[in-house]
Amino acid sequence: MNQFNPKPGSLFSLAPRLMTRERMRRYVDAQPTIAVDDGRIHTQEPTIHDDDEYARSQGFPGIIADGMISTNWILGLLVDLFGSAAAMNSRLSTKYVKPIYEDISVITCAKILTVHQNPEGEKIITLDVWCEDNSGIKLTVGSATICIDAT
Amino acid sequence: MTTGGMVTELDKGDILGPVEYTLSPFVVREYCHAVELGHDCFQGNIGDLVMPSTLIHLDKLRLYTHACPGGTGPTARIHFEFDAELFAPIRVGDNLVVKGEITDRYLKKGRDYVVLVMELRKAETSGLLIRYTDHVILAYSEA
Repeated sequence: MNQFNPKPGSLFSLAPRLMTRERMRRYVDAQPTIAVDDGRIHTQEPTIHDDDEYARSQGFPGIIADGMISTNWILGLLVDLFGSAAAMNSRLSTKYVKPIYEDISVITCAKILTVHQNPEGEKIITLDVWCEDNSGIKLTVGSATICIDAT
Repeated sequence: MTTGGMVTELDKGDILGPVEYTLSPFVVREYCHAVELGHDCFQGNIGDLVMPSTLIHLDKLRLYTHACPGGTGPTARIHFEFDAELFAPIRVGDNLVVKGEITDRYLKKGRDYVVLVMELRKAETSGLLIRYTDHVILAYSEA
């Protein structure tokens, strides 16, 4: 049972993480590996997330992170806060407002907006969620709703 | 109907899928390992594992592979917006059906945007598990 008692206005963040080349490549490799689903690693054609030359050919200065990495870091923070409820009955929306380039420091944040109980007795929590760099510039923005079962 | 070609050719009204599959522990753990979700519900014992809602993003690629055998196309796709509503836990061993529809394709500031709405359902009951809306830019240029 998660004993966390959320209050509107509370702000949470994770320690900064560098968006390294290795983190970007890991997500690229996960895609065909999961598609094949045979327990072995599989690779794919060059992408803007793991190949500088290809990224430059597509108009970028170098590789950029897949937006799903920052979305997953936000999901991770929500599971830290609310336990598996965040993975069972929830909504998460994110928008990638700035490209995240190699070795940018990323801080994952969440702020509780509202907490209320619905007629079924479930606790409904709404949040602003985002990732920012170490100068406070927002890279990914979004919102989340978590439904915590009364039991 | 523009399925059967490349992802860059997809247009409003195109239906992607359905594709049926069984959620394996390898898929959940491998995905969560790749994105640093180390929680027990994602990396623990098989009986405790649930699918993170974010994994629906790879079902998009599953649909692309099914509907667009010609591959990505001449330009890289830039993921712009993620919106997933999860209605019930999705567990390892569940038989799932995913289906998508291109609901919009439009030009904005010289960029080509495509909106894909997907639904993931339980194969046996058709119960809705995730509704996902995905926005991509088909060819990036500085705005």
